[in-house]
Amino acid sequence: MYENAQYIFSNGKNDCIRVDINGVTSFVPLDEANADFQRIMALVAEGKLTIGAAQ
Amino acid sequence: MTATLQTTNIQNATSSTTNLALDTSGNVTVGSSLTAANNITATSGTVVMASSFLRNKIINGGMQIDQRNAGASLTPNNQYTVDRWYFGNSQSGKFTAQQNAGSVTTAAGFPNYLGFTSTSSYTLLSGDQFYLRQAIEGFNTADLAWGTSSAKSVTLSFVVYSSLSGTFGGVIANSAVGYVYPFTYTIPSTNTWTTVSVTIPGPTAGTWVGATNGVGIYVYFNLGTGTSFSGTPGSWQAAGYTSATGATSVVSTNGATFYITGVQLEVGSVATPFERRQYGQELLLCQRYYEKSFDVNTAPASASASAGAFEFAQQVGASTTQYGPSCKYSVAKRAAATVTFYNWNAAGNQAVNISTAGNTTGLTLRSSQSGTTSYSITFTTPSGTSAGQGLSVMWTADAEL
Repeated sequence: MYENAQYIFSNGKNDCIRVDINGVTSFVPLDEANADFQRIMALVAEGKLTIGAAQ
Repeated sequence: MTATLQTTNIQNATSSTTNLALDTSGNVTVGSSLTAANNITATSGTVVMASSFLRNKIINGGMQIDQRNAGASLTPNNQYTVDRWYFGNSQSGKFTAQQNAGSVTTAAGFPNYLGFTSTSSYTLLSGDQFYLRQAIEGFNTADLAWGTSSAKSVTLSFVVYSSLSGTFGGVIANSAVGYVYPFTYTIPSTNTWTTVSVTIPGPTAGTWVGATNGVGIYVYFNLGTGTSFSGTPGSWQAAGYTSATGATSVVSTNGATFYITGVQLEVGSVATPFERRQYGQELLLCQRYYEKSFDVNTAPASASASAGAFEFAQQVGASTTQYGPSCKYSVAKRAAATVTFYNWNAAGNQAVNISTAGNTTGLTLRSSQSGTTSYSITFTTPSGTSAGQGLSVMWTADAEL
């Protein structure tokens, strides 16, 4: 389960996504081969998850 | 008295196929399988095989590597159990899973198995799915030439044990789970280890990823699947099935068990003996997909173990942003990994200053500087600390398919 997704800003751009995966905070690279990134983007496309803007 | 038998072929009296063919150069061709009660020796040269050593495309088929849980029981919710084995569910809380669950006498030659226990008598909905699955990387399946006229058959073998008997099911699928081969198998007796072998013809159609780091093949074992995801067994079909019609639903019987080990997927139509890799080899194969700083038999957690911590120098003064260092993986990852940090000294996911026990803030992955061979971090140093002191953090890296 993916919750509380938020972009992390670094190097002048969105660099990764901080997200709680089954209750544990993790950092997901913006890599299309990364399975978590794939599932997060699928949930976003389905309207089931929103990625917050970087603070 | 000795004599020389001169002939070209040797053939069974009731067969139409030559068993042994002898040529003029001293070569012998065996028509089919060759079985030896003792050794087969090549006094020079090598033994060459079409399906060679390292023939098992399944990783951790013996269920001995359990980096995430270290043998502990869990109630899986769309997550990995033992290494490389993913449990998928449409309803949560219906199973417990554990390496060597129930502590039954193991199958001969297999010290470990993965066990599931149903926690209720759940009535399946048409759209329900409960399954155990392994995704095999495309680099390791491209040789099968699936989706072409040269597609090779494969044989799936495994050893299984259940409190239920009857017909069970599974599926071989492509990366999109849109082109599948449902299969069934039989467990004839309850609570008895049964060896199963299923041969799957190579599909000449369907979309397959080829030699990439994506999903080459999914192997599914069904634990309960509704009618929407159950298909007729025994043929390739363009559908999104994850089980076979008529398969036993383990989830529908409270307390029912399903244990499995010795999973092997290999080229050809014969199930050869399970390929036994050394423990260290199997661990290395698993670490392409999941690695951790924790000892192999320690489950990741905060405020817990520090053995194996990533330790590095604080390069700047207190309350200052530090970029780096990077941490090198032991094994190159399939793709850039999802990284999770654990503070071994306290709850949370920050690094700890070894001198003051103060915690960093804002510890994050530097994704742009991270890749398949290492990850890099950035954070703000703890207050009351100094450059040159040591920082320490535990981590996991997940590059699963």
